[in-house]
Amino acid sequence: MSTNEVKDKEVLVSVEHVDVTFTNGRKKFRAVTDANFDIYRGETFALVGESGSGKTTIARAIIRLNEISAGEIKFQGKRISGKLTKEDRQWVVRNIQMIFQDPAASLNERATIDYCVSEGLYNFKLYENEEDRERKVDWALQQVGLLPEHKSRYPHEFSGGQRQRIGIARALIMEPSFIIADEPISALDVSIRAQVLNLMNKFKKENDLTYMFIAHDLSVVRYFADRIAVIHLGRIVEIAPAVELFQYPLHPYTNSLLQAVPMPDPEIEKAKKIVPYDASHEVLDDTSRLREVRPGHFVFMADSEVEKYRTKLEEMERTVSE
Amino acid sequence: MSENRIDLTSLGQSEEELFSFQLEDDSASEHIAAPKYSYWGSVFRRFFSSKVAIVMMVIALALVLFAFIQPIISGYDHTYTPNINNKSMHYLRPFTKGFIFGTDDKGNSLFDALWSGTKNSLLISIGATLITEFIGIVVGMFWGYSKKVDVVMIEVYNVLSNIPTTLVAMILVYTMGGGIPQLIFAMCVTTWVGTAYFIRVQVMIIRDREYNLASRCLGTPLPKIILNNILPYLISVIITSVSRDIPSFISLEVALTFLGVGLGEKKASLGKMVYQYAPYMTTAGYLFWIPVTTSAILSISLYIVGQYLADASDPRTHMI
Repeated sequence: MSTNEVKDKEVLVSVEHVDVTFTNGRKKFRAVTDANFDIYRGETFALVGESGSGKTTIARAIIRLNEISAGEIKFQGKRISGKLTKEDRQWVVRNIQMIFQDPAASLNERATIDYCVSEGLYNFKLYENEEDRERKVDWALQQVGLLPEHKSRYPHEFSGGQRQRIGIARALIMEPSFIIADEPISALDVSIRAQVLNLMNKFKKENDLTYMFIAHDLSVVRYFADRIAVIHLGRIVEIAPAVELFQYPLHPYTNSLLQAVPMPDPEIEKAKKIVPYDASHEVLDDTSRLREVRPGHFVFMADSEVEKYRTKLEEMERTVSE
Repeated sequence: MSENRIDLTSLGQSEEELFSFQLEDDSASEHIAAPKYSYWGSVFRRFFSSKVAIVMMVIALALVLFAFIQPIISGYDHTYTPNINNKSMHYLRPFTKGFIFGTDDKGNSLFDALWSGTKNSLLISIGATLITEFIGIVVGMFWGYSKKVDVVMIEVYNVLSNIPTTLVAMILVYTMGGGIPQLIFAMCVTTWVGTAYFIRVQVMIIRDREYNLASRCLGTPLPKIILNNILPYLISVIITSVSRDIPSFISLEVALTFLGVGLGEKKASLGKMVYQYAPYMTTAGYLFWIPVTTSAILSISLYIVGQYLADASDPRTHMI
C-alpha cells in the first residue's frame, strides 16, 4: 500500500486529456473535461465524487461503452479509444472487465447462472469442450463462494450479495488484468459489503489484478484504495495516494467530501463545522491544471492560486508534525 | 441466572448423548431451498390455473381443428352448385332434411360452406399474422437497438403508417387478383411497420439496462444480445400483439370482402358470407347470424387465450 512501491510500477492504463461529450440533437453536454491520470499495474485506483460528477462516464469511456470526444486512452501503451480493429476490440474485452453497480439490473433475468457466467467464454470460445467450460464455471463460482448446484438457477433466486458475487465470477472467468468496479457495494446491504470487498481484495492478490474503484463513499475508499482521484462536475480536482489525501486534503472540495463522512462519535459530530463546497472561490482560467504539490499529490489550480495552496499545505504539515 | 439453568442430567441422558460437535460449513448458507424455477413450467402452471383460459382455449382449439378437418371430410367446393335450379332445396331452415345449418341461396349446405369459409379466413389471418409478426419483430429489434437504423426507419414508418391499410390492400388485390396468397400479401404490406414500431419502443425501454451493457463488456455480438437478452423479455408483448393481430386480420378480411375486393368467387370465407347474407337478416336470419356468431366466437376466444397467455408469460406474475 505504500506510495513509493506504486511509483516505480509500470503504467497500465493511461487516460490522457479525455473529454466525454453527450449530444442530444443540438444540445451538448460535457460530462467529463480534460481527465488526465495514470493507473499503475497492481494498484487500486479510486475515483470519488458526488452523483453526476462523471465517475461512471470515465469508467465507461475506458471500457468503450462511451465514446470520447477528445484525448486518448491507452492500455499497456496501446490506444484503446476511438475506432479499433476487431482484434483490438476483442483484446480490450479480454483484458478489461467491469463489475456493475446494481447486481439485480446487471444480470440477465431470463438466463441461468450457467449462461450468465459463461457468456464471455462463449463469445471467445475460451474452452476446449463442454466439460472444460463446465469446469471453468464451477471454478469461478467456487472462487466467489457459490455452489456448482447454482448453475441451473435464475438470478432472481439469489440475494443481493450472491448476485454481486455472480457478477464478479462473470468478470473473473475472463482472466482480465484490469477490472473496473463501478460502485460495486453501494447497492448492497451493509452486512455483506465487507464480504464482497474482501473477495475483491483476495482476487487482487491471487490473480495480480489492477482495480479502478468508483465510489461516492470515502470511508470505503480509505480501506480499499491505494490512490484516490477526486472528481467534481466532470473535472478531476485532486489526485493523491490514499493516506496522503486523508492527511492533506488540499482542494476545498476534497475537504467538503471528507467532512461529509460521519464519525461514530457523538462528541466529534457535535463539534463538527460543516463547510459546504463553494466553487465560486476557485479560479478557473487558462492556467488551471493539475499541479504536483507533494510527490504523487496533484491539485487542480490556476497560476494565481499556487501561493494560496502552498501556505495551506505548510500549515497542514505543521499541524501534522505537531 | 444460575437458577434458570436446566440440569441436563435430569433429562435422563448424558451430555454426550444430547450434544455432538458439528463442522462449520460456509457453503450451507449459500444453499437455496426453493424448488427450481422453470420459465415455461411457470407459464403453463399460471395459464392453466384460470378456468376461463382453459374454456376459451378448448373453444378456440375445437373451432380451429374443426375448420381444418371438416372441409376435408365434406369435400366442399364453393363453385359446385348441383341444387342451383332445384328451388325446393334453397333456404332450408336449420335441422331440416339432414342439413344442420340448413341451405343457402344456391341450395348448398351452409354447414359445409361455413367451415370451409372459416378455414380460409383462418388461413388468411394466421398467415398474415405470422408474416407481419416475423418481419415486424426482426425489423423492430434492429430498429430499436441501432440509432442509425432508427433515423431511416422512422421516415419509412411516417410514410407507411399514413397510408390506409384498407386502401393499399384494395389496390393490390385489384391488380393481383383475389386469392389467399395475394390477400395475405396485400394485408402485410403496411401492417408490419406497426408491429415493428411497437417492438422498437419495447426494445428501446430495455436496450440500455445494465445487463445489456454487461453483455457488451463481455464482447457479445449484437445478434446474440438481441436473441438472448432482449427477445426473452418481449415474449409477453409479442403474444399480446399476436392475439390482437389474428382477430383484426379476420375483421380486415371481412371489411375487404364487404368492399368487393376479398377472396373472389371461387372460395368461401367468413367475410364473404357475412357480406353476402346481410340482406337476408330479416327473411332468412340464420344465413347471416351463423357466420357472424362463428366469426365473433373465434375472434373472442383467440383474443382471450392470447391475453391470458401473455399474462402468464410475464414472469412478474410467477412469484405470486
